[in-house]
Amino acid sequence: MALLEVLNLTKNFGGLSANQDISFSVQKEELVGLIGPNGAGKTTLFNCISGFHPVSSGKIIFNGEDITSLNAHEIARRGLARTFQIYAASGDLTVKENVMVGCFMRTRSRGKAEARAEEILKDFNLADLGDAAVSELPVAAQKRVTMAAALGSGPKLLLLDEVAAGLTSNEIEEIMKNIRHIHIDMGITVMLIEHVMELVMKVSDRVMVLDYGRKIADGAPRMVAKDPEVIKAYLGERFVQEHKEILI
Amino acid sequence: METLKSAFDFSDFPRLDISVAGTVAIFLLLFPILPHSAFAMATMIQFLMFSIYGMGWNTIGGYGGQVDLGKAQYVGIGAYTTAVLLIRWDIPFWFSMPLGVCFAVAWSFIIGYPLFRLKGHYFAIATIATSLVLMDLFSVWEFVGAARGLEISPIKYPSPDFWRLIFKKDIYYYYVILSFFFLGILYVNGFRKSRLGYQLRSIRDNEDMARSLGINVHWAKIKTYAIATAFVSIVGSFHACYIKNIEPEDTMSLDISILIALMAMLGGAGSLWGPIIGAAVLIPLKSYLKEWLGAAAGLAGIDLVIYAVIIMLISALEPRGIWGIVEKVRRRKRR
Repeated sequence: MALLEVLNLTKNFGGLSANQDISFSVQKEELVGLIGPNGAGKTTLFNCISGFHPVSSGKIIFNGEDITSLNAHEIARRGLARTFQIYAASGDLTVKENVMVGCFMRTRSRGKAEARAEEILKDFNLADLGDAAVSELPVAAQKRVTMAAALGSGPKLLLLDEVAAGLTSNEIEEIMKNIRHIHIDMGITVMLIEHVMELVMKVSDRVMVLDYGRKIADGAPRMVAKDPEVIKAYLGERFVQEHKEILI
Repeated sequence: METLKSAFDFSDFPRLDISVAGTVAIFLLLFPILPHSAFAMATMIQFLMFSIYGMGWNTIGGYGGQVDLGKAQYVGIGAYTTAVLLIRWDIPFWFSMPLGVCFAVAWSFIIGYPLFRLKGHYFAIATIATSLVLMDLFSVWEFVGAARGLEISPIKYPSPDFWRLIFKKDIYYYYVILSFFFLGILYVNGFRKSRLGYQLRSIRDNEDMARSLGINVHWAKIKTYAIATAFVSIVGSFHACYIKNIEPEDTMSLDISILIALMAMLGGAGSLWGPIIGAAVLIPLKSYLKEWLGAAAGLAGIDLVIYAVIIMLISALEPRGIWGIVEKVRRRKRR
Protein backbone atom coordinates (compact mmCIF):
# COMPACT_ATOMS: atom_id res chain seq x y z
CA MET A 1 0.00 0.00 0.00
CA ALA A 2 1.24 3.47 -0.84
CA LEU A 3 2.18 5.73 2.07
CA LEU A 4 0.77 8.80 0.35
CA GLU A 5 -1.88 8.80 -2.31
CA VAL A 6 -3.08 11.93 -4.04
CA LEU A 7 -6.20 11.54 -6.15
CA ASN A 8 -7.31 14.15 -8.72
CA LEU A 9 -6.19 17.03 -6.57
CA THR A 10 -7.23 20.47 -7.83
CA LYS A 11 -6.50 23.77 -6.16
CA ASN A 12 -7.91 27.02 -7.50
CA PHE A 13 -7.04 30.50 -6.31
CA GLY A 14 -9.89 32.58 -7.69
CA GLY A 15 -9.69 32.03 -11.43
CA LEU A 16 -6.17 30.67 -11.31
CA SER A 17 -5.70 26.94 -11.18
CA ALA A 18 -2.49 26.29 -9.28
CA ASN A 19 -2.92 22.51 -9.24
CA GLN A 20 -5.05 20.75 -11.81
CA ASP A 21 -6.22 17.19 -11.47
CA ILE A 22 -2.95 15.88 -10.04
CA SER A 23 -2.76 12.22 -9.08
CA PHE A 24 0.24 10.29 -7.85
CA SER A 25 1.36 8.04 -5.06
CA VAL A 26 4.48 7.71 -2.95
CA GLN A 27 5.55 4.28 -1.74
CA LYS A 28 7.08 3.63 1.65
CA GLU A 29 10.83 4.47 1.79
CA GLU A 30 10.77 6.08 -1.61
CA LEU A 31 12.47 9.40 -2.34
CA VAL A 32 10.47 11.40 -4.85
CA GLY A 33 11.73 14.61 -6.42
CA LEU A 34 9.25 17.25 -7.52
CA ILE A 35 10.49 19.69 -10.14
CA GLY A 36 9.04 22.22 -12.52
CA PRO A 37 9.55 25.81 -13.64
CA ASN A 38 8.73 28.68 -11.27
CA GLY A 39 5.02 29.00 -10.71
CA ALA A 40 4.30 25.41 -11.69
CA GLY A 41 2.42 24.80 -8.43
CA LYS A 42 4.96 22.73 -6.52
CA THR A 43 4.75 24.59 -3.23
CA THR A 44 0.97 24.81 -3.56
CA LEU A 45 0.89 21.04 -3.87
CA PHE A 46 2.93 20.72 -0.67
CA ASN A 47 0.66 23.22 1.07
CA CYS A 48 -2.40 21.19 0.07
CA ILE A 49 -0.92 17.87 1.18
CA SER A 50 0.24 19.25 4.54
CA GLY A 51 -3.08 20.95 5.25
CA PHE A 52 -1.99 24.57 4.92
CA HIS A 53 -4.36 25.13 1.98
CA PRO A 54 -7.81 23.58 1.74
CA VAL A 55 -8.07 21.72 -1.57
CA SER A 56 -10.70 22.71 -4.16
CA SER A 57 -11.37 19.11 -5.06
CA GLY A 58 -9.69 15.73 -4.88
CA LYS A 59 -8.55 13.45 -2.13
CA ILE A 60 -5.38 12.94 -0.13
CA ILE A 61 -4.83 9.59 1.60
CA PHE A 62 -1.96 9.27 4.02
CA ASN A 63 -1.09 5.97 5.64
CA GLY A 64 -4.53 4.60 4.72
CA GLU A 65 -6.42 7.56 6.19
CA ASP A 66 -8.22 10.33 4.34
CA ILE A 67 -6.50 13.53 5.50
CA THR A 68 -8.02 15.87 2.92
CA SER A 69 -9.99 17.97 5.36
CA LEU A 70 -7.69 17.82 8.38
CA ASN A 71 -5.87 20.84 9.84
CA ALA A 72 -2.13 21.29 9.42
CA HIS A 73 -1.33 20.34 13.01
CA GLU A 74 -3.52 17.25 12.85
CA ILE A 75 -1.74 16.10 9.71
CA ALA A 76 1.63 16.76 11.33
CA ARG A 77 0.64 14.61 14.30
CA ARG A 78 -0.15 11.73 11.96
CA GLY A 79 3.47 11.73 10.85
CA LEU A 80 3.59 14.02 7.84
CA ALA A 81 6.22 16.72 8.39
CA ARG A 82 7.35 19.51 6.10
CA THR A 83 9.85 22.34 5.83
CA PHE A 84 9.33 25.80 4.39
CA GLN A 85 11.05 27.53 1.51
CA ILE A 86 11.58 30.68 3.54
CA TYR A 87 12.29 30.40 7.22
CA ALA A 88 11.15 33.69 8.69
CA ALA A 89 12.77 33.55 12.11
CA SER A 90 11.80 36.68 13.96
CA GLY A 91 12.15 35.57 17.54
CA ASP A 92 14.75 34.23 19.82
CA LEU A 93 14.45 30.45 19.89
CA THR A 94 17.86 28.81 19.77
CA VAL A 95 18.74 26.01 17.38
CA LYS A 96 18.27 23.37 20.05
CA GLU A 97 14.99 24.87 21.26
CA ASN A 98 13.64 24.84 17.72
CA VAL A 99 14.36 21.15 17.37
CA MET A 100 12.93 20.55 20.84
CA VAL A 101 9.63 22.09 19.74
CA GLY A 102 9.49 19.38 17.08
CA CYS A 103 10.35 16.69 19.64
CA PHE A 104 7.62 17.95 21.99
CA MET A 105 5.08 16.60 19.51
CA ARG A 106 5.86 13.09 20.71
CA THR A 107 6.59 13.71 24.38
CA ARG A 108 5.52 15.96 27.24
CA SER A 109 8.81 15.56 29.06
CA ARG A 110 11.34 18.33 28.60
CA GLY A 111 14.20 15.98 29.44
CA LYS A 112 13.22 13.53 26.72
CA ALA A 113 12.67 16.30 24.17
CA GLU A 114 16.06 17.79 24.94
CA ALA A 115 17.88 14.46 24.70
CA ARG A 116 16.24 13.66 21.36
CA ALA A 117 17.03 17.15 20.02
CA GLU A 118 20.68 16.79 20.95
CA GLU A 119 20.82 13.44 19.18
CA ILE A 120 19.37 14.91 15.99
CA LEU A 121 21.67 17.93 16.10
CA LYS A 122 24.65 15.62 16.40
CA ASP A 123 23.50 13.71 13.32
CA PHE A 124 23.21 17.01 11.49
CA ASN A 125 26.61 18.31 12.62
CA LEU A 126 24.83 21.18 14.32
CA ALA A 127 25.65 20.29 17.91
CA ASP A 128 28.10 23.21 18.25
CA LEU A 129 25.43 25.67 17.18
CA GLY A 130 22.84 24.40 19.68
CA ASP A 131 22.76 27.62 21.69
CA ALA A 132 22.86 30.06 18.77
CA ALA A 133 19.73 31.96 17.83
CA VAL A 134 18.42 30.64 14.52
CA SER A 135 18.04 34.14 13.11
CA GLU A 136 21.79 34.69 13.52
CA LEU A 137 22.78 31.69 11.38
CA PRO A 138 23.62 31.65 7.67
CA VAL A 139 20.80 30.49 5.38
CA ALA A 140 22.27 27.03 4.81
CA ALA A 141 22.41 26.29 8.52
CA GLN A 142 18.89 27.69 9.01
CA LYS A 143 17.55 25.30 6.42
CA ARG A 144 19.22 22.39 8.13
CA VAL A 145 17.70 23.50 11.44
CA THR A 146 14.20 23.42 9.94
CA MET A 147 14.91 19.92 8.64
CA ALA A 148 16.15 18.88 12.07
CA ALA A 149 13.04 20.35 13.75
CA ALA A 150 10.77 18.51 11.31
CA LEU A 151 12.65 15.29 12.07
CA GLY A 152 12.19 15.90 15.78
CA SER A 153 8.48 15.32 15.29
CA GLY A 154 9.27 11.74 14.24
CA PRO A 155 7.65 11.77 10.77
CA LYS A 156 6.85 8.89 8.44
CA LEU A 157 6.92 11.21 5.44
CA LEU A 158 8.97 14.37 5.14
CA LEU A 159 8.24 17.06 2.56
CA LEU A 160 11.30 19.24 1.87
CA ASP A 161 10.64 22.53 0.09
CA GLU A 162 13.76 23.82 -1.70
CA VAL A 163 16.25 23.06 1.01
CA ALA A 164 19.19 23.62 -1.37
CA ALA A 165 18.07 26.83 -3.07
CA GLY A 166 20.69 29.57 -2.95
CA LEU A 167 23.39 27.46 -1.34
CA THR A 168 27.02 27.02 -2.43
CA SER A 169 28.15 23.69 -3.84
CA ASN A 170 29.84 22.75 -0.56
CA GLU A 171 26.67 23.48 1.34
CA ILE A 172 24.69 21.45 -1.20
CA GLU A 173 27.02 18.51 -0.57
CA GLU A 174 26.34 18.81 3.13
CA ILE A 175 22.56 18.98 2.66
CA MET A 176 22.68 16.02 0.30
CA LYS A 177 24.39 14.02 3.04
CA ASN A 178 21.64 15.04 5.46
CA ILE A 179 18.92 14.00 3.03
CA ARG A 180 20.56 10.63 2.39
CA HIS A 181 20.87 10.12 6.13
CA ILE A 182 17.18 10.84 6.62
CA HIS A 183 16.15 8.62 3.74
CA ILE A 184 18.55 5.70 3.98
CA ASP A 185 19.68 5.50 7.62
CA MET A 186 16.46 6.64 9.24
CA GLY A 187 14.23 4.99 6.65
CA ILE A 188 11.96 8.00 6.26
CA THR A 189 10.03 8.52 3.05
CA VAL A 190 10.96 11.84 1.48
CA MET A 191 9.41 14.08 -1.13
CA LEU A 192 11.43 17.11 -2.16
CA ILE A 193 10.93 20.20 -4.27
CA GLU A 194 14.19 21.32 -5.75
CA HIS A 195 15.61 23.52 -8.47
CA VAL A 196 19.15 22.28 -8.03
CA MET A 197 19.08 19.48 -10.63
CA GLU A 198 22.38 18.05 -9.54
CA LEU A 199 20.80 17.23 -6.20
CA VAL A 200 17.39 16.00 -7.37
CA MET A 201 18.78 13.74 -10.08
CA LYS A 202 21.32 12.22 -7.71
CA VAL A 203 19.15 11.45 -4.71
CA SER A 204 15.69 10.77 -6.15
CA ASP A 205 14.32 7.32 -6.87
CA ARG A 206 11.67 8.94 -9.00
CA VAL A 207 11.03 12.43 -10.30
CA MET A 208 7.70 14.14 -10.93
CA VAL A 209 7.39 17.22 -13.08
CA LEU A 210 4.74 19.92 -12.80
CA ASP A 211 4.07 22.63 -15.35
CA TYR A 212 1.25 25.17 -15.18
CA GLY A 213 -0.33 23.19 -12.37
CA ARG A 214 -0.45 19.90 -14.29
CA LYS A 215 1.65 16.81 -13.87
CA ILE A 216 3.52 16.36 -17.15
CA ALA A 217 5.97 13.58 -16.28
CA ASP A 218 6.60 10.98 -13.60
CA GLY A 219 9.38 8.39 -13.72
CA ALA A 220 13.02 7.52 -13.20
CA PRO A 221 15.30 10.59 -13.13
CA ARG A 222 17.08 9.59 -16.36
CA MET A 223 13.85 9.11 -18.26
CA VAL A 224 12.34 12.36 -17.06
CA ALA A 225 15.44 14.32 -18.06
CA LYS A 226 15.01 13.13 -21.63
CA ASP A 227 11.26 13.65 -21.82
CA PRO A 228 10.47 16.19 -24.58
CA GLU A 229 7.48 17.49 -22.59
CA VAL A 230 9.79 18.32 -19.68
CA ILE A 231 12.39 19.99 -21.87
CA LYS A 232 9.63 21.99 -23.49
CA ALA A 233 8.41 23.12 -20.07
CA TYR A 234 11.83 24.31 -19.07
CA LEU A 235 13.22 25.61 -22.35
CA GLY A 236 10.17 26.42 -24.46
CA GLU A 237 8.57 25.00 -27.59
CA ARG A 238 10.90 26.81 -29.95
CA PHE A 239 14.04 25.33 -28.45
CA VAL A 240 12.64 21.84 -28.88
CA GLN A 241 11.74 22.50 -32.53
CA GLU A 242 15.14 23.97 -33.35
CA HIS A 243 17.24 21.34 -31.58
CA LYS A 244 15.32 18.18 -32.47
CA GLU A 245 18.49 16.41 -33.59
CA ILE A 246 20.32 16.83 -30.25
CA LEU A 247 17.37 15.87 -28.19
CA ILE A 248 16.59 12.56 -29.87
CA MET B 1 7.26 15.79 39.15
CA GLU B 2 9.54 17.06 36.41
CA THR B 3 7.45 20.20 36.18
CA LEU B 4 7.69 20.85 39.89
CA LYS B 5 11.45 20.40 39.81
CA SER B 6 11.74 22.69 36.86
CA ALA B 7 9.78 25.42 38.68
CA PHE B 8 12.47 25.50 41.37
CA ASP B 9 15.33 25.20 38.91
CA PHE B 10 16.88 28.57 38.11
CA SER B 11 20.21 27.11 37.00
CA ASP B 12 19.97 28.43 33.45
CA PHE B 13 20.36 31.99 34.76
CA PRO B 14 23.82 33.47 35.26
CA ARG B 15 25.04 33.59 38.85
CA LEU B 16 24.71 37.37 38.93
CA ASP B 17 20.96 37.14 38.25
CA ILE B 18 20.46 34.64 41.01
CA SER B 19 22.36 36.69 43.57
CA VAL B 20 20.50 39.87 42.62
CA ALA B 21 17.17 38.02 42.74
CA GLY B 22 18.11 36.53 46.12
CA THR B 23 19.01 39.92 47.55
CA VAL B 24 15.77 41.41 46.29
CA ALA B 25 13.82 38.49 47.77
CA ILE B 26 15.44 39.02 51.17
CA PHE B 27 14.75 42.74 50.98
CA LEU B 28 11.10 42.05 50.16
CA LEU B 29 10.82 39.64 53.08
CA LEU B 30 12.36 42.13 55.51
CA PHE B 31 10.76 45.32 54.17
CA PRO B 32 7.91 45.54 56.73
CA ILE B 33 10.44 45.31 59.56
CA LEU B 34 12.53 48.15 58.18
CA PRO B 35 11.39 51.68 58.97
CA HIS B 36 8.93 52.82 56.30
CA SER B 37 6.08 55.23 55.73
CA ALA B 38 2.50 54.12 55.13
CA PHE B 39 2.85 55.54 51.64
CA ALA B 40 5.91 53.36 50.95
CA MET B 41 4.03 50.31 52.22
CA ALA B 42 1.06 51.02 49.96
CA THR B 43 3.41 51.50 47.03
CA MET B 44 5.15 48.19 47.75
CA ILE B 45 1.83 46.34 47.82
CA GLN B 46 0.87 47.97 44.53
CA PHE B 47 4.24 46.97 43.12
CA LEU B 48 3.72 43.32 44.11
CA MET B 49 0.16 43.29 42.74
CA PHE B 50 1.18 44.74 39.43
CA SER B 51 4.19 42.42 39.20
CA ILE B 52 1.79 39.49 39.33
CA TYR B 53 -0.55 41.07 36.79
CA GLY B 54 2.52 41.52 34.62
CA MET B 55 3.66 37.93 35.10
CA GLY B 56 0.26 36.77 33.94
CA TRP B 57 0.27 39.11 30.98
CA ASN B 58 3.78 37.92 30.13
CA THR B 59 2.70 34.31 29.52
CA ILE B 60 0.40 35.16 26.62
CA GLY B 61 1.76 38.59 25.71
CA GLY B 62 5.47 37.99 26.20
CA TYR B 63 6.17 34.32 25.52
CA GLY B 64 3.24 34.05 23.14
CA GLY B 65 3.63 37.46 21.49
CA GLN B 66 -0.13 38.18 21.60
CA VAL B 67 -0.42 41.77 22.76
CA ASP B 68 -3.38 41.78 25.11
CA LEU B 69 -4.79 45.15 26.17
CA GLY B 70 -7.82 43.84 28.03
CA LYS B 71 -6.44 42.30 31.19
CA ALA B 72 -8.42 44.68 33.43
CA GLN B 73 -11.66 42.80 32.71
CA TYR B 74 -10.24 39.88 34.68
CA VAL B 75 -9.17 42.14 37.53
CA GLY B 76 -12.82 43.12 37.63
CA ILE B 77 -14.19 39.59 37.52
CA GLY B 78 -11.91 38.50 40.37
CA ALA B 79 -12.58 41.60 42.46
CA TYR B 80 -16.36 41.55 41.98
CA THR B 81 -16.68 37.83 42.65
CA THR B 82 -14.88 38.16 45.96
CA ALA B 83 -16.68 41.35 46.99
CA VAL B 84 -20.17 40.18 46.05
CA LEU B 85 -19.76 36.81 47.73
CA LEU B 86 -18.38 38.36 50.90
CA ILE B 87 -20.96 41.12 51.17
CA ARG B 88 -24.05 39.10 50.23
CA TRP B 89 -23.32 35.68 51.66
CA ASP B 90 -20.26 36.17 53.85
CA ILE B 91 -18.23 33.73 51.76
CA PRO B 92 -14.54 34.14 52.65
CA PHE B 93 -11.69 35.00 50.31
CA TRP B 94 -10.18 31.53 50.11
CA PHE B 95 -13.43 30.21 48.58
CA SER B 96 -14.34 33.20 46.49
CA MET B 97 -10.86 33.57 45.01
CA PRO B 98 -10.82 30.14 43.30
CA LEU B 99 -14.43 30.70 42.24
CA GLY B 100 -13.41 34.03 40.73
CA VAL B 101 -10.67 32.23 38.83
CA CYS B 102 -13.29 29.80 37.49
CA PHE B 103 -15.53 32.64 36.31
CA ALA B 104 -12.61 34.55 34.81
CA VAL B 105 -11.26 31.49 33.01
CA ALA B 106 -14.72 30.61 31.71
CA TRP B 107 -15.10 34.15 30.37
CA SER B 108 -11.60 33.96 28.88
CA PHE B 109 -12.60 30.84 26.93
CA ILE B 110 -15.76 32.48 25.68
CA ILE B 111 -14.00 35.54 24.32
CA GLY B 112 -10.65 33.86 23.62
CA TYR B 113 -12.15 31.41 21.15
CA PRO B 114 -13.24 34.05 18.62
CA LEU B 115 -10.56 36.60 19.53
CA PHE B 116 -7.64 34.34 18.74
CA ARG B 117 -8.89 34.08 15.18
CA LEU B 118 -7.59 37.64 14.94
CA LYS B 119 -3.95 38.59 14.69
CA GLY B 120 -1.66 41.39 15.76
CA HIS B 121 -3.27 44.80 16.17
CA TYR B 122 -6.74 43.43 15.47
CA PHE B 123 -6.39 41.10 18.42
CA ALA B 124 -5.16 43.92 20.67
CA ILE B 125 -8.08 46.17 19.73
CA ALA B 126 -10.60 43.38 20.25
CA THR B 127 -9.29 42.75 23.77
CA ILE B 128 -9.75 46.44 24.59
CA ALA B 129 -13.30 46.28 23.29
CA THR B 130 -14.38 43.24 25.31
CA SER B 131 -12.91 44.78 28.44
CA LEU B 132 -14.74 48.06 27.93
CA VAL B 133 -18.02 46.28 27.23
CA LEU B 134 -17.71 44.34 30.46
CA MET B 135 -16.92 47.53 32.36
CA ASP B 136 -20.04 49.21 30.96
CA LEU B 137 -22.16 46.20 31.85
CA PHE B 138 -20.94 46.30 35.43
CA SER B 139 -21.61 50.04 35.54
CA VAL B 140 -25.34 49.49 35.03
CA TRP B 141 -25.78 46.16 36.77
CA GLU B 142 -27.61 46.88 40.04
CA PHE B 143 -26.80 43.51 41.58
CA VAL B 144 -23.13 44.51 41.77
CA GLY B 145 -23.82 48.09 42.78
CA ALA B 146 -23.75 49.55 39.27
CA ALA B 147 -21.57 52.66 38.95
CA ARG B 148 -21.45 53.16 42.74
CA GLY B 149 -19.60 49.90 43.09
CA LEU B 150 -19.32 47.82 46.23
CA GLU B 151 -17.92 48.52 49.63
CA ILE B 152 -16.62 46.00 52.10
CA SER B 153 -16.92 47.57 55.53
CA PRO B 154 -14.08 46.30 57.72
CA ILE B 155 -15.79 47.06 61.03
CA LYS B 156 -18.10 44.07 60.57
CA TYR B 157 -15.22 41.63 60.79
CA PRO B 158 -12.66 40.95 63.47
CA SER B 159 -9.16 41.97 62.46
CA PRO B 160 -6.96 40.19 61.56
CA ASP B 161 -9.36 37.89 59.72
CA PHE B 162 -7.23 35.55 57.62
CA TRP B 163 -10.20 33.60 56.41
CA ARG B 164 -11.88 36.62 54.85
CA LEU B 165 -8.61 38.45 54.27
CA ILE B 166 -9.76 41.52 56.15
CA PHE B 167 -6.99 43.28 58.03
CA LYS B 168 -6.53 46.68 59.60
CA LYS B 169 -2.78 46.66 59.15
CA ASP B 170 -1.21 46.62 55.72
CA ILE B 171 1.60 44.33 56.84
CA TYR B 172 -0.73 41.32 56.63
CA TYR B 173 -1.78 42.21 53.12
CA TYR B 174 1.87 42.67 52.28
CA TYR B 175 2.85 39.15 53.27
CA VAL B 176 -0.18 37.58 51.56
CA ILE B 177 0.57 39.26 48.27
CA LEU B 178 4.30 38.59 48.68
CA SER B 179 3.63 34.86 48.91
CA PHE B 180 1.47 35.06 45.77
CA PHE B 181 4.35 36.92 44.16
CA PHE B 182 6.85 34.15 44.93
CA LEU B 183 4.40 31.46 43.80
CA GLY B 184 3.88 33.41 40.58
CA ILE B 185 7.59 33.49 39.87
CA LEU B 186 7.87 29.74 40.45
CA TYR B 187 4.90 29.08 38.19
CA VAL B 188 6.23 31.16 35.31
CA ASN B 189 9.68 29.66 35.76
CA GLY B 190 8.16 26.22 35.27
CA PHE B 191 5.88 27.41 32.50
CA ARG B 192 8.62 28.86 30.32
CA LYS B 193 10.37 25.48 30.29
CA SER B 194 7.24 23.39 29.83
CA ARG B 195 6.01 21.96 26.57
CA LEU B 196 3.38 24.69 26.32
CA GLY B 197 6.04 27.33 27.00
CA TYR B 198 8.19 26.12 24.13
CA GLN B 199 5.22 25.76 21.83
CA LEU B 200 4.16 29.29 22.58
CA ARG B 201 7.57 30.73 21.84
CA SER B 202 7.57 28.79 18.60
CA ILE B 203 4.18 30.33 17.76
CA ARG B 204 5.60 33.80 18.39
CA ASP B 205 8.57 33.02 16.13
CA ASN B 206 6.68 31.57 13.21
CA GLU B 207 3.10 30.36 13.32
CA ASP B 208 3.26 28.26 10.16
CA MET B 209 6.33 26.46 11.38
CA ALA B 210 4.58 25.83 14.70
CA ARG B 211 1.58 24.31 12.93
CA SER B 212 3.82 22.12 10.82
CA LEU B 213 5.31 20.75 14.05
CA GLY B 214 1.90 19.55 15.21
CA ILE B 215 1.01 22.50 17.45
CA ASN B 216 -2.64 23.43 17.62
CA VAL B 217 -1.88 27.15 17.53
CA HIS B 218 -5.40 28.33 18.32
CA TRP B 219 -5.81 26.03 21.30
CA ALA B 220 -2.32 26.75 22.68
CA LYS B 221 -3.14 30.47 22.68
CA ILE B 222 -6.50 29.94 24.38
CA LYS B 223 -4.94 27.74 27.06
CA THR B 224 -2.22 30.25 27.81
CA TYR B 225 -4.72 33.10 27.82
CA ALA B 226 -6.59 31.20 30.52
CA ILE B 227 -3.41 30.88 32.57
CA ALA B 228 -2.76 34.62 32.25
CA THR B 229 -6.37 35.20 33.25
CA ALA B 230 -6.03 33.12 36.42
CA PHE B 231 -3.04 35.20 37.55
CA VAL B 232 -4.92 38.44 37.04
CA SER B 233 -8.13 37.23 38.63
CA ILE B 234 -6.38 36.04 41.81
CA VAL B 235 -4.87 39.47 42.35
CA GLY B 236 -8.22 41.01 41.46
CA SER B 237 -9.79 39.10 44.36
CA PHE B 238 -6.98 40.31 46.60
CA HIS B 239 -7.60 43.85 45.36
CA ALA B 240 -11.21 43.66 46.58
CA CYS B 241 -10.19 42.73 50.12
CA TYR B 242 -7.27 45.14 50.22
CA ILE B 243 -8.88 48.25 48.71
CA LYS B 244 -12.34 47.34 50.09
CA ASN B 245 -14.04 49.75 47.75
CA ILE B 246 -14.41 48.62 44.17
CA GLU B 247 -15.92 50.45 41.26
CA PRO B 248 -16.04 49.49 37.59
CA GLU B 249 -13.79 52.44 36.75
CA ASP B 250 -10.90 51.54 38.99
CA THR B 251 -10.88 47.82 38.38
CA MET B 252 -11.72 47.47 34.70
CA SER B 253 -10.73 50.69 33.00
CA LEU B 254 -8.44 50.84 30.00
CA ASP B 255 -5.77 52.59 32.09
CA ILE B 256 -5.24 49.45 34.12
CA SER B 257 -5.08 47.17 31.09
CA ILE B 258 -2.53 49.44 29.49
CA LEU B 259 -0.48 49.77 32.64
CA ILE B 260 -0.28 45.96 32.96
CA ALA B 261 0.88 45.51 29.38
CA LEU B 262 3.18 48.50 29.52
CA MET B 263 4.99 47.30 32.61
CA ALA B 264 5.70 43.90 31.17
CA MET B 265 6.87 45.45 27.90
CA LEU B 266 9.04 48.05 29.61
CA GLY B 267 10.72 45.44 31.80
CA GLY B 268 11.03 42.89 29.04
CA ALA B 269 8.26 40.85 27.48
CA GLY B 270 9.07 37.16 27.26
CA SER B 271 11.53 37.07 30.13
CA LEU B 272 11.00 35.89 33.68
CA TRP B 273 12.24 39.07 35.39
CA GLY B 274 10.83 41.55 32.88
CA PRO B 275 7.40 42.23 34.43
CA ILE B 276 8.94 42.60 37.89
CA ILE B 277 11.52 45.11 36.66
CA GLY B 278 8.80 46.96 34.78
CA ALA B 279 6.58 47.14 37.85
CA ALA B 280 9.53 48.23 40.00
CA VAL B 281 10.09 51.17 37.65
CA LEU B 282 6.53 52.16 36.84
CA ILE B 283 4.61 51.73 40.08
CA PRO B 284 6.75 54.05 42.23
CA LEU B 285 6.86 56.43 39.29
CA LYS B 286 3.09 56.34 39.02
CA SER B 287 2.53 56.84 42.77
CA TYR B 288 4.98 59.70 43.06
CA LEU B 289 3.84 61.38 39.89
CA LYS B 290 0.27 61.35 41.13
CA GLU B 291 1.24 62.45 44.61
CA TRP B 292 3.60 65.26 43.67
CA LEU B 293 2.99 66.44 40.16
CA GLY B 294 -0.64 65.49 39.88
CA ALA B 295 -2.06 66.71 43.17
CA ALA B 296 0.53 69.28 44.22
CA ALA B 297 1.34 70.99 40.94
CA GLY B 298 -2.10 70.52 39.43
CA LEU B 299 -0.78 68.48 36.54
CA ALA B 300 -3.44 65.78 36.57
CA GLY B 301 -2.89 63.24 33.83
CA ILE B 302 0.87 63.76 33.72
CA ASP B 303 1.34 60.02 34.36
CA LEU B 304 -0.46 59.24 31.10
CA VAL B 305 1.90 61.53 29.20
CA ILE B 306 4.87 59.73 30.68
CA TYR B 307 3.42 56.30 29.77
CA ALA B 308 3.00 57.47 26.21
CA VAL B 309 6.63 58.56 26.05
CA ILE B 310 7.73 55.20 27.45
CA ILE B 311 5.68 53.29 24.88
CA MET B 312 7.28 55.30 22.10
CA LEU B 313 10.77 54.79 23.47
CA ILE B 314 10.35 51.02 23.84
CA SER B 315 8.96 50.50 20.38
CA ALA B 316 11.62 52.69 18.78
CA LEU B 317 14.71 51.62 20.71
CA GLU B 318 14.39 48.18 22.22
CA PRO B 319 11.20 46.16 21.73
CA ARG B 320 12.39 43.69 24.34
CA GLY B 321 12.53 46.32 27.06
CA ILE B 322 15.02 46.78 29.85
CA TRP B 323 15.79 43.10 30.02
CA GLY B 324 16.48 43.14 26.28
CA ILE B 325 19.17 45.77 26.86
CA VAL B 326 20.73 43.69 29.65
CA GLU B 327 20.87 40.64 27.38
CA LYS B 328 22.36 42.63 24.51
CA VAL B 329 25.16 43.92 26.73
CA ARG B 330 25.82 40.39 27.96
CA ARG B 331 25.97 38.94 24.48
CA ARG B 332 28.43 41.64 23.45
CA LYS B 333 30.65 40.86 26.43
CA ARG B 334 30.72 37.17 25.63
CA ARG B 335 32.10 37.83 22.16
